Amino acid sequence: MRNNIKIERARHNLTQADLAEKIGVSRQSINAIEKGKYVPSTVLALKMARLFKMSVEDLFTLEIDD
Amino acid sequence: MSIMKTNYLLPHRYKIIGWVLLILGVISGLVFFNQDFESDMLKMDVFAIYNGEDIFNKDGGFFKIIENNSILDEITALSIIFGGLIVGFTKEKVEDEFIFKLRNDSLVWAIIVNYIILIFTIIFIYEFTFFNVLVYNMFTPLLFFIFRFNFLKYRS
Repeated sequence: MRNNIKIERARHNLTQADLAEKIGVSRQSINAIEKGKYVPSTVLALKMARLFKMSVEDLFTLEIDD
Repeated sequence: MSIMKTNYLLPHRYKIIGWVLLILGVISGLVFFNQDFESDMLKMDVFAIYNGEDIFNKDGGFFKIIENNSILDEITALSIIFGGLIVGFTKEKVEDEFIFKLRNDSLVWAIIVNYIILIFTIIFIYEFTFFNVLVYNMFTPLLFFIFRFNFLKYRS
């Protein structure tokens, strides 16, 4: 699964720590999600999408091998 | 809907106590190891539910008082275990699903690594050294768990 979190974060001028604080998770989680090491839960994905005012499908996309 | 419920964890503020106990215990344990697990410190009479018999002790059995026993080894082992449990099972500053997953994965790895060490020991280590390894094996699951969890957390 790919995600555009890093891009959206840059667009909204947020650091990993800022984004983590806004959605109530650890900075480590944001880092792991951005690097593709961790797939967030549906709740967390929805929270991020809501913060960036976009749909989950625009923030996260499936890859061929998923 | 809350992101993660981890109700078996202690509050974050206890973590420092855990680190102090764990570090003191490990230092004491390393010193103790260099003295072949013998010490003259803190000698007192202790109560034993069961005391084994050997060539030095003919008075084994249930519910015995053991006289003049150094309790440094007991304190050292308990300090490592309590310290390790507190460090491993207190909340992080921010608890979330990723931290929860790191903790669970680290626990699984700790059990697997511990038994790999034990299997290796059973096959390749003999006589008294075998029992020395078992002494370390009492602590390796907790220590490996703490090490791996913190390593992955700080690398993230």
